[in-house]
Amino acid sequence: MDRRQLVKWLKEPLKMSNKYSLHVVYFCTGCGIIEIPPSITARWDAERFGVKPVATPRQANLFLITGYVSLKTLKPIIRTYEQMPEPKYTVALGSCPIDGGMYWDSYNTINHLDKYIPIDGYIAGCMPRPEAIFTGITHLWTLIDEGKADGYERYRERYQEYRSNQERLYGQLEWPPLYTGRDDDV
Amino acid sequence: MSKVGEEITAHFPEINTHRIDEKRVEVNTDKGYLLSLLNFLKDGGYDHLGLISCVDRMEDGVLQLVYVLSRYAQDESVPGPDPTLVVKIPLSREEPTIVSSMGVFINAEPYERELYEMFGIDFTGHPRLDPLFLERDYDIPPLRKDFDTRRYVTEEFETIPPVED
Amino acid sequence: MEILRQRDTGPTTRELELYFGPQHLGMVGNFSITLNVKGDRIVSAEANPGYLHRGFEKLMEERNWIQNFPLVCRVNVIEPGSMEMVYSMAVEDLAGIEVPERGEYIRCIYLELSRVASHLFGLWAYSKMLGFETVGGWAMYHRDLILDLFEELTGGRVYNIYIWPGGVRRDLPEGFIGRVKRTLHEIGGKVPDYNKTFFENRVFHERARGIGVVGKDEAKEMGGTGQVLRAAGQEYDIRKVDPYGVYDEVDWEVHTREEGDAYSRIMVIRDEMIESVHMVFKLLKDIPDGPAYNKVPNPFKWRIPEGETYVRLESSRGELGLYLLSDGGQRPYRAHFRTPSYPHGLTVLEKALDGESISDTGNIMISLYVTAPEIDR
Repeated sequence: MDRRQLVKWLKEPLKMSNKYSLHVVYFCTGCGIIEIPPSITARWDAERFGVKPVATPRQANLFLITGYVSLKTLKPIIRTYEQMPEPKYTVALGSCPIDGGMYWDSYNTINHLDKYIPIDGYIAGCMPRPEAIFTGITHLWTLIDEGKADGYERYRERYQEYRSNQERLYGQLEWPPLYTGRDDDV
Repeated sequence: MSKVGEEITAHFPEINTHRIDEKRVEVNTDKGYLLSLLNFLKDGGYDHLGLISCVDRMEDGVLQLVYVLSRYAQDESVPGPDPTLVVKIPLSREEPTIVSSMGVFINAEPYERELYEMFGIDFTGHPRLDPLFLERDYDIPPLRKDFDTRRYVTEEFETIPPVED
Repeated sequence: MEILRQRDTGPTTRELELYFGPQHLGMVGNFSITLNVKGDRIVSAEANPGYLHRGFEKLMEERNWIQNFPLVCRVNVIEPGSMEMVYSMAVEDLAGIEVPERGEYIRCIYLELSRVASHLFGLWAYSKMLGFETVGGWAMYHRDLILDLFEELTGGRVYNIYIWPGGVRRDLPEGFIGRVKRTLHEIGGKVPDYNKTFFENRVFHERARGIGVVGKDEAKEMGGTGQVLRAAGQEYDIRKVDPYGVYDEVDWEVHTREEGDAYSRIMVIRDEMIESVHMVFKLLKDIPDGPAYNKVPNPFKWRIPEGETYVRLESSRGELGLYLLSDGGQRPYRAHFRTPSYPHGLTVLEKALDGESISDTGNIMISLYVTAPEIDR
């Protein structure tokens, strides 16, 4: 550990421990998942950065959305995201979640993921290489440091808008709203 | 003329076959013959149903079903690779119905479900004709030629407002 | 065991529905299975695909012949090479383009390398699922070595678009053959270690033998190809049955097993990897000189004469086919992929899961080599 960071640890221990133990929820949502196994095994070894896949969203604080999002996948993505404990971060991998990528005119994939859940960062490329993933992760550290990775706060604040966008796609959703707008939410 | 083509014509004089090239034989028939033809071919060694596909020929008002059949075991009496059979059956575009071929080939099941979903073809006798891939209902089945995917995307997804700028 | 069985049939055990996937630790890929279980036995299973459906076949009708290449290689993420090949073969068949001899050789070398890479990925998934982290790590590292070769060839790690109508995009770079040999020697040198730690390990034997048995007649009835069929004793490989490329000019054999369980499917994969490595060495020895590709017409104005074709080849998972139609225009009129995982994941998997234990679901699914994007397209 860098000595100069000692002050940071003393000042903001929670933020620092969040930052260095990004646990990724184990959910392969698209073709970007093909670069995740090399990243987490010996050659590239994401655990150097504290990144580690975990089994359930309840244990995770980072959601890597790997690639294009079809209509059928978006529903489990929203479910998974809402189940994660705060603070939670989302990073979208590849070009497709940004604006649809090469599937921009497909009838079954949504084009802009940030209309439905908040995104803290994008890693562009098709596929992003393992190095790009690591660059993205270290950049996410900076964002956490500066307090800019606040997607979960935005989600809480503007939940009504996100929820109404989700319901425009699916009609009535099967699960109750995560935040009701009352005081006990915050 | 190929050997399997001759056999088909000998057994079903109404069905015409022709050889496209050395690897493929085309069989044109109508939907009344489907099951008897598939049964005959399966007994004759064409026991591998590779694919059931469909082509939307909108200007003719026809949905053309395509069954691709090949052999698991090599036919020893004919030299060289066996040809693949392409069986074509036209259906009316307005009311496409045909009997399910699941009784002959079990693996027809997902293909028929997919075609039901993507082209709106009704397979009678299929035990579970429910959606396979799609989440929402489309007015026109999406793989038909008159379904405009670009317009659909603009009207359905692009009109959803962004939450943040 | 006896007690368990009695408990299963006891009057207190109810049947209940269990969702396996898409977000599940035992699931590889974005796929879902609905299991009806009684105790820990599966009574019936229903595959629920569609999480990765992008409507490729519709999108291909909207793009011209060359623009479709980036699309087709994304149908199967794990082995894009065979997807490029099947589309190239179909386009060549429709347009009447010839491939020079050297081009065919390079294609086969590339295809065999990507077959090995894909099998190593499968080995990673399978061994990791059984708890062999070390073997999984080796397999992933060795796959990366092959991806490095592809990167040198084309600049892309995963999606290469190397195979092209009329041959390959460019000839092999200088010294490439030596580097292929060196990489394969490195991977081959590890085979005894793989055997000792994994393939001859009692844990693997006990967890894979007798699991998910699919018999020969059953597999044929359900449209099985590839490992599913070869592990059950049927010698069926498109490279032999309907040869393409230069597979009929090289000396190689099809590997089969008799039992049809998860164990024999994984062993067939192992034998095939070794066979592919040997085949690449033979191909490298015989590779002729000459041009590697024939020129294709201007892609922006390219029209392909009216016609239709069905081509097939052996991908790492089984028989891969493409039904392609042209109406004489700049775009395909209709394309339909016959992917090997389609019958394996939707028909064979449901049958193979019947009566098995819940904990073996992932085991059976990975040993059947089911790849979700291939099913959904």
